[in-house]
Amino acid sequence: MKILIVDDDPINRTILQRLLGKEGHEVITADNGRDGVDGYVRHEPDLVLMDIRMPGMNGYEAAREIKSLHATRFTPIIFLTAVTDDEGLVQCIDAGGDDFLTKPFNRTILQAKIGAMERIRQLHARLTLQKEELEQHQERVHQELEVGRHIFSHIVSAGHLQDAPCLNHWTSPMTLFNGDLLVASYNPAGGLHIMLGDFTGHGLSAAVAAMPVADIFYDMTAQGFSIGDLAEAMNVKLLSIMPRRMFCAACLIEVDHRQKSINIWNGGLPDVLIADESGRLVQRVVSSRMPLGIARMTREDRKVEILEMRPGFRVFLLSDGVTEATAPDGSMYGVERLESHFDGHHPPERLFETILKDLEQFRGNAEQSDDISLLEIVCDRASEEPKGVEEKRQRTAIPPTPWEVNFTFSAQTLKTVDPLPTIITAVMNLQAPIGHRERLYTILAELFSNALDHGLLKLDTRTKKTPEGFLQYYSEREERLARLKEGSIRLELNHFPRWNGATENEPSGGEIHILMEDTGAGFDLNQIHTQLHGNLGHGGRGIALVKSLCHSLDYQGRGNCAKAVYRWTA
Amino acid sequence: MSGTINVSRHDKETVISVKGRFNFEMHSQFRAAYQNDSGEDNQGRRFVIDLAGTEYIDSSALGMLLLLREEAGANESDIEIINTRPEIRKILETANFQRLFKIA
Repeated sequence: MKILIVDDDPINRTILQRLLGKEGHEVITADNGRDGVDGYVRHEPDLVLMDIRMPGMNGYEAAREIKSLHATRFTPIIFLTAVTDDEGLVQCIDAGGDDFLTKPFNRTILQAKIGAMERIRQLHARLTLQKEELEQHQERVHQELEVGRHIFSHIVSAGHLQDAPCLNHWTSPMTLFNGDLLVASYNPAGGLHIMLGDFTGHGLSAAVAAMPVADIFYDMTAQGFSIGDLAEAMNVKLLSIMPRRMFCAACLIEVDHRQKSINIWNGGLPDVLIADESGRLVQRVVSSRMPLGIARMTREDRKVEILEMRPGFRVFLLSDGVTEATAPDGSMYGVERLESHFDGHHPPERLFETILKDLEQFRGNAEQSDDISLLEIVCDRASEEPKGVEEKRQRTAIPPTPWEVNFTFSAQTLKTVDPLPTIITAVMNLQAPIGHRERLYTILAELFSNALDHGLLKLDTRTKKTPEGFLQYYSEREERLARLKEGSIRLELNHFPRWNGATENEPSGGEIHILMEDTGAGFDLNQIHTQLHGNLGHGGRGIALVKSLCHSLDYQGRGNCAKAVYRWTA
Repeated sequence: MSGTINVSRHDKETVISVKGRFNFEMHSQFRAAYQNDSGEDNQGRRFVIDLAGTEYIDSSALGMLLLLREEAGANESDIEIINTRPEIRKILETANFQRLFKIA
């Protein structure tokens, strides 16, 4: 060991130096406090033996200065003292001394004390090393998590949560990773899909499970699948990847501004609240399904609640982090306090903000114990275009070629699946006219639902004109579809390349001829003419809309065969 | 602060009582409470979860119930959740657990 002796008495220094030298220690000496500090800095000893009374800087001051030089390194200081009164010893310890040795020196005690100090010093060195390793490890983990969080947030926020004009949202994760998944995206027909998922647990495990769910959400929404289809696909995925004790309470909402409907699938989240134009709570959608990832879904489990979207309506979707938020005294925010805002005395346009402010006030400085999410859908703004320009997915344009496809859907097929998304995907893979997907989807969707609803199911659009009729229409549609035994819908698509000027080699676009034929009784052709003008009213899916998107639209046969021509240029 | 768990075993039945807060901190305690009684040798064993003294239940606790159900034989399991106070019943019903467990 390297030992520094600081003592103004030459006899003491000599005795100590000899004693320690015999033990094999390396000894450095100083004869006053100032030199002691300098010697400490220069030689970095493992131990300091310090006299108290010295000219100039005394032992207490020197000890204080030495201890203040290194915050992390531990160099024990043993005071050499003639005093044995309590006060003097307390002063030694106060000044940063670790032990003291009374004069005259006893060799055995000196050895024992040096040995003890060495053990403490080694223990300290080991702890310091472990602490450094731990800190480095923590830093590495933190950096990895930070990168992970960055990737995660870009995957899950790929949609339209930020730029859909009808949405307001607020989310506050408890840890770096949010266990609440909040996503929104437009489907090809312009409807908006929104999902809030609340995974068991928080942080990384929840985030990892959230990624495939977000993927399914964006992918299937873009392909035009319904929220019931989405819920089922997510459920299958989560069942296969999550441990048994983990699940995802989720709510999926489709806002369809053309149909004037809001479809809600709620599996395990708090009641979805709907406020009218005066801010009063008029309806709630309770969880009627099991959360995702617990059990296989039945046909019944896929069903959604259909609400009519009325002017001024606002929909509030929240995770249980809101109602279970705790105040510093441990009390919970609660459903009652949340719903007290919906009494019709708060300005509806400020409800969202009011709830957030109240929640913040309630929580005070209490620690957050769950992820918190709140989302508002302002129905009046549902038809507004998303802000900002949407980045189109890069696809290689396929040169226009002639092709033809033919689908026939039997009653049995129509009862089990919605064939549209699959057809659209097939057409896009054949021709992929970039930027025309939404229009084509809308045309096919309108013609298809006309053929099914009116041709095969014989439903009357006029029913939808009243609020009662609106719901009646959908429940009747469901019943009639379930009972459907015969009939079919045939879809024929013919594509012809078109040349812009006769001399060009490459065709510049094409023309898709769409034939949608059903086995129903058809329409009175005169009546169709009226419909073309009158079907854009309340709740009506418009043939007029199709006409506006197409180059031409005609009805043939007994009115059961629609023929539309869609022209596109690259 | 989390809760405490008491277990009483009978011939064909295990009663697990949860007092206080039933949350993620109870995971190993809860698991230990039924572990010896689940599995192949214990088919047909009935589990009763007594929530009379439970103040609060969170989603990890729901997860633990699912795990118990799985280890007790999934659809063949016989698990009853008793003495649920209205607030706790509401939480169980929001997750539609009445389809997986008998809730009284």
